[in-house]
Amino acid sequence: MASFELLRSKVCHLLAALSVFGCFVSIADAQQQPSGFAVERLYQSAPGGGWFVMDDLDISGQPGGAISATSGYERNPLVITGPDGKQKLAVVSQEAFLDIGGSVTYDRFRGYLNIPMPLLVTGTSGTLGPYQFTAPSLTLGTTPDTISDGRIGVDARLFGKPGDLIRLGAGAQLIFPSGDRSDYVTDARYGGMFRFLAAGDAGAYRYAGQLGIHLRPLNDAPVLGSPNGNEFLYGISGGRRFAGPSGWAVIAGPEIFGETAFHVFFSGETGTEALLTGRLEQTRTAHNLRIKLGVGHALQQNFGAAQWRIVYGVELFGHK
Amino acid sequence: MRFWLAVFAAVRYVKTRPAVSGASVCGALNHSPGQLDLRNVLKIVRPAKRVLATALLTSSLAYAQNGAPAPRPDDDFSYMKMLADKGEHDIDNESWNAYGQFTYISSWKPAFYAPYTNLNGSINSLLPTAERSFTGTATLYLGIRLWKGAEGYLVPEVISEQPFSQLRGLGSAIQNFELQKGGATVPQIYKSRLFLKQTIGLGGKSDVEESGPLQLGAHYDSRRLVFVVGNFTILDFFDTNAFDVDPRQGFLGLGFMTYGAYDFASDARGYSYGGIGEFHWDDWAVRFGRITPPKLPNQLPVDFRLLKYYGDQTEIEHKHTIHGQEGMLRVLVYRNRENMGRFSDAIAAFDADPLKNATTCTTFNYGSNNSTAPDLCWARKPNVKMGIGGFAEQYLGHDIGVFARGMYSDGKTEVYAYTSTDRSATAGVLAKGAAWSRPKDVTGVGMNLGWISDIHAKYLGMGGIDGFVGDGAITAAAERSVDLFYSANFRKIYWLSGDYQHITNPGFNAARGPVNVFTVRVHGEF
Repeated sequence: MASFELLRSKVCHLLAALSVFGCFVSIADAQQQPSGFAVERLYQSAPGGGWFVMDDLDISGQPGGAISATSGYERNPLVITGPDGKQKLAVVSQEAFLDIGGSVTYDRFRGYLNIPMPLLVTGTSGTLGPYQFTAPSLTLGTTPDTISDGRIGVDARLFGKPGDLIRLGAGAQLIFPSGDRSDYVTDARYGGMFRFLAAGDAGAYRYAGQLGIHLRPLNDAPVLGSPNGNEFLYGISGGRRFAGPSGWAVIAGPEIFGETAFHVFFSGETGTEALLTGRLEQTRTAHNLRIKLGVGHALQQNFGAAQWRIVYGVELFGHK
Repeated sequence: MRFWLAVFAAVRYVKTRPAVSGASVCGALNHSPGQLDLRNVLKIVRPAKRVLATALLTSSLAYAQNGAPAPRPDDDFSYMKMLADKGEHDIDNESWNAYGQFTYISSWKPAFYAPYTNLNGSINSLLPTAERSFTGTATLYLGIRLWKGAEGYLVPEVISEQPFSQLRGLGSAIQNFELQKGGATVPQIYKSRLFLKQTIGLGGKSDVEESGPLQLGAHYDSRRLVFVVGNFTILDFFDTNAFDVDPRQGFLGLGFMTYGAYDFASDARGYSYGGIGEFHWDDWAVRFGRITPPKLPNQLPVDFRLLKYYGDQTEIEHKHTIHGQEGMLRVLVYRNRENMGRFSDAIAAFDADPLKNATTCTTFNYGSNNSTAPDLCWARKPNVKMGIGGFAEQYLGHDIGVFARGMYSDGKTEVYAYTSTDRSATAGVLAKGAAWSRPKDVTGVGMNLGWISDIHAKYLGMGGIDGFVGDGAITAAAERSVDLFYSANFRKIYWLSGDYQHITNPGFNAARGPVNVFTVRVHGEF
């Protein structure tokens, strides 16, 4: 009898231990840890493209090329709202980058390479519902040589000439993965973009626009604030040109751009930003210079559309 | 035939393992590896002289090498030359250029003799079992002229690699210089260089710099000031390639890239941020550079506090002509201030309190499991490391040259960036294949010697480890390697190389080895 009581006591203890262990296991199971993704959504135009995101399709008929260095800082590019709709977590609260690109042009075609380098990606770790987010802590000191997702692309001006009212074109680019997902600088997957481009000049006014597809194999659909596969790209820009002496000019105007996941068009998984841009450029010689500055704010703050950002760059471009 | 005679002589040498004194048990040294025993030096030097002399007599030869890429000879193919040939590019006065390369190196090490490995939980032994190692790199060199005298360079590179024994157990005898860049078997893209170079002419003759990787085709004044700022490897500017051979065509051993004892400040891949100033006055040049060290020894994160922690180096260079043959002499002095441990401090901490051993570290350490050993983690504080080295190269005839370099570092502190070697000496010859009608082929034989200081040997003998070596015990001796290779050129842009290395006293430990390493390399450039 005593041995039966002892056995029953041991079994009870064992069951209690197992239930406690099971609780821990179920808690551990419930805590999912998102892996990070390429949070940057400023998909820059090709070096020599004029605008920050749009492309002026001003590809000269002569052999030429451009190099560009663009840098920027953005605030709160990834703020995730919890399942209750109230709790918010800035998983990526600061991001700074340097992007160096080069392009070659011939006739109406352009090939280019962009090499982005993150300088700062930091945020706040925390838990939202079942998701435990680990913020990135990338600085130039911790990862002095990181290159994030680079791009190789081609553009073509299909209709119209430089200076025409209507210029139409198309572009494609391959995005090759580089960096760590935990730093929120890469999807760690190859991707691509196809874009239809339009641009034109009407006296002192300029405009440009794009519609495109971002082939994004990464699909973390159930995870809060993460990409949901392929995306639709859109954007438009317009500005006025103020001519100065010796071929110098200032062009100022807004750029609006964004993207939305294909499977839920223009739902909450859409990010849209507006940039007020100004550029000082000299374009009437074989060796031209362009200095650009843009300050922007999110119109719809999702998926890397920063709460606000500042971006600046310089381009050297020309032709033989 | 004459070439094979040279090869035979080299193999004869490496089979004749010179006796090395320094028998010790757990650090009780009978011989100081830091102070050279003249008899042992002669034992090393005599057969080396025979090899060098034989090779010199049998070859029309060429070049030594370094870490930086070398200019491309005129008859090498490149897209830049192709553009120039079509009249689309001014290659003599370039506004931009782009070059590329890829290299795959595969090494195999058969099993070797080792009475002990990772003794008492120390972890830095070269494993005595057969192993395979490889590296694969692809590099894009982009250059642009920004304004008068200003050049900008960006070099992205992709690397994948697998070293022997997790890159443990060797000093400067690491068999593949690409392994210093760190990496994993999964390819990683990284930025190796991004810097700005400003040249200010001061007159004199017009020096022609040919177009090549990290060099725009240009004419410079022979008297000039050059300033560099940005991200680079210090070897792009200091202790540069002797005779301008590309290292990916030449010797594979790490000890041939620069002084083995030159613990230049750099991150785990060998790159730094900082600035360099150069003053060229005809045949003379003086340069000074201050660069960033890593935050922790042999790690990737960089410490940007250049006023607190830094690597300083100064080099004086003189080009000369002897009987019509060009030559060069260089003296390099470096001084690093880094948060590093002194061997004596680590030993003192352990002697005073054995609980301060390698298994009880509370700060950065290499993970040794030897509880009877001191560890540098207990000794890290701002310390200074210094060294002085000399380099000489001399053409002996058309395309015939010899080179040698040696360095003496103080050996008081741990390796922070490059190799565990405290004193080093390297000599070698290379040959181009004109004598056997293959002028683009390259072959060579060289010897690399490395020593550690007395206190370093005592620390290792007590079971301590540094960034790369530490078997748990040591019979301290000079680490020696002989490197013999042949690179055959195909279609002007591809090289297929075979390489043999014989490493004696791996990790400065005469109780282990010798080690044989066989390597194949495929290299292409465009």
